[in-house]
Amino acid sequence: MRTGLFLLLAALMPGPALAANQVALDNHVFVERVSTDAEGKQRILLEEPKVVVPGDRLVFVLNYRNAGAQPADKFVVTNPMPAAVRFADAGDTRPFVSVDGGKQWGLLADLSVPMADGTRRAAQPADVTHIRWAFQTPIPVGGTGKLMFRGVVK
Amino acid sequence: MTSKLTYMGAIGLTALSSVAAAPALAAGTTAGTTITNTATVDYQVGGVAQGQQSASNNFTVDRKINLLVEEVADLTTTVVPGQANAVTTFQLTNISNETLDFALVATQIVGGTASHGGSDSFNVNNVRIYRDNISSGTIGSWDAGDTLITGYVDELVVDTAIRLFVVADIPAALANNSVAGVTLRATAREGGSIGTQGAAITETAGANTAGKDTVFADITAGVAGDAARDGSHSDNDDYTVQTATLAVTKTSRIISDPVNATSNPKLIPGAVIEYCIAVANSGSAAATSVVITDPVPGQLTFNAGSILLGGTVTSGTCDFNGATGGSYAAPNVSGTIASIAAGTASTLVFRATVN
Repeated sequence: MRTGLFLLLAALMPGPALAANQVALDNHVFVERVSTDAEGKQRILLEEPKVVVPGDRLVFVLNYRNAGAQPADKFVVTNPMPAAVRFADAGDTRPFVSVDGGKQWGLLADLSVPMADGTRRAAQPADVTHIRWAFQTPIPVGGTGKLMFRGVVK
Repeated sequence: MTSKLTYMGAIGLTALSSVAAAPALAAGTTAGTTITNTATVDYQVGGVAQGQQSASNNFTVDRKINLLVEEVADLTTTVVPGQANAVTTFQLTNISNETLDFALVATQIVGGTASHGGSDSFNVNNVRIYRDNISSGTIGSWDAGDTLITGYVDELVVDTAIRLFVVADIPAALANNSVAGVTLRATAREGGSIGTQGAAITETAGANTAGKDTVFADITAGVAGDAARDGSHSDNDDYTVQTATLAVTKTSRIISDPVNATSNPKLIPGAVIEYCIAVANSGSAAATSVVITDPVPGQLTFNAGSILLGGTVTSGTCDFNGATGGSYAAPNVSGTIASIAAGTASTLVFRATVN
């Protein structure tokens, strides 16, 4: 219970709280397998990433929890895309993304990418280099949530 | 938890620096690569920035064995009987995510419908496989500088296509439109040792391992005898014989006799007879240097200078025309027709007098 220990220390300390590990974050990845049964119904299974080959669809899940004693404000989760994974979508979590290595951020639909001839084209999911979720309201004490995005193994 | 997301980034206010394009990876991430995903959290408590939190996970990309053997151009190779080094062209592409060796086998199809029509009716001789030399000689076509393959292609890197030639000799004395089918099959073998053929590859069976597993991803089977997901792929091509098929017919007519002259002449001594030797080519290729020889019977006397060569045949009937030519060396009349195109006929015409 390291987290608990730090919380205790934080509570005892006067002045601005500098509570290490006040927020817990964990990161999971699953392989999304779609199988079609005899009746033509599609079933989507999320499996542990044991057999992963190029072209497989991955689901990354980030779980966060404010384990601290105070609300966590300006809560920003940043996830650079692994080099061997191509971004696909982020479900309905509407993250900001970067297509230039984290310099500029915005909704994917608002971003563009420079072309060799000097013109720009609209950014595509494959251009995404970073994903970021920024929360408008503080995460209350004990608040938890889940973020996800999908990618494809290059 | 229903916190709303807000806009954090600044878009387009400063010039965007160009992004280095990631290399295109059609076959994908190299087998054995570990993919690590890290997420970080920045937050504040009571208006004070707190230490950044991060969380990671990682997994290993497994080995995907996939390959493609394709016939190039999707055309039969036309050959003539007795032709040496007749070439069919294939392409082998390594679309696995690892450099591999590929065992190659060229086999002959026996019977059945060939891939470009017709039925397989003969086998070729001396079947060899060559790899196109892409640095010299005629690139894309078989030539003497190409490399003879002895069983396998060594260390074919990811996403690379090479051109392979199946070269064979065509037996003599084959009928027009005879077909010989050949199959080229490639089977993935372990890579890694230059100059030696790697071991056979087996798919990881049973429970998955955390390390690099092997998956056969050739989900489309090749031609007959090749299954899906077996780490091998194949395609067919064929040779079609295109030769001239010649038929000779000989006809004659009476031109005149000493009594009736040219009015209803009869075959009496002194009558002049005109012969027509027609050569028709019903094959698929032109016949060249066609030599016609006809001995004149002893009861007839050849009329000097009467040979006409290269005349026509209309609806199967000799037109008794042509250009002066040919030669006579008793008792033979002979002449050479330079070329008789497929589907046409040509003639040799001469006159003789009844003794």
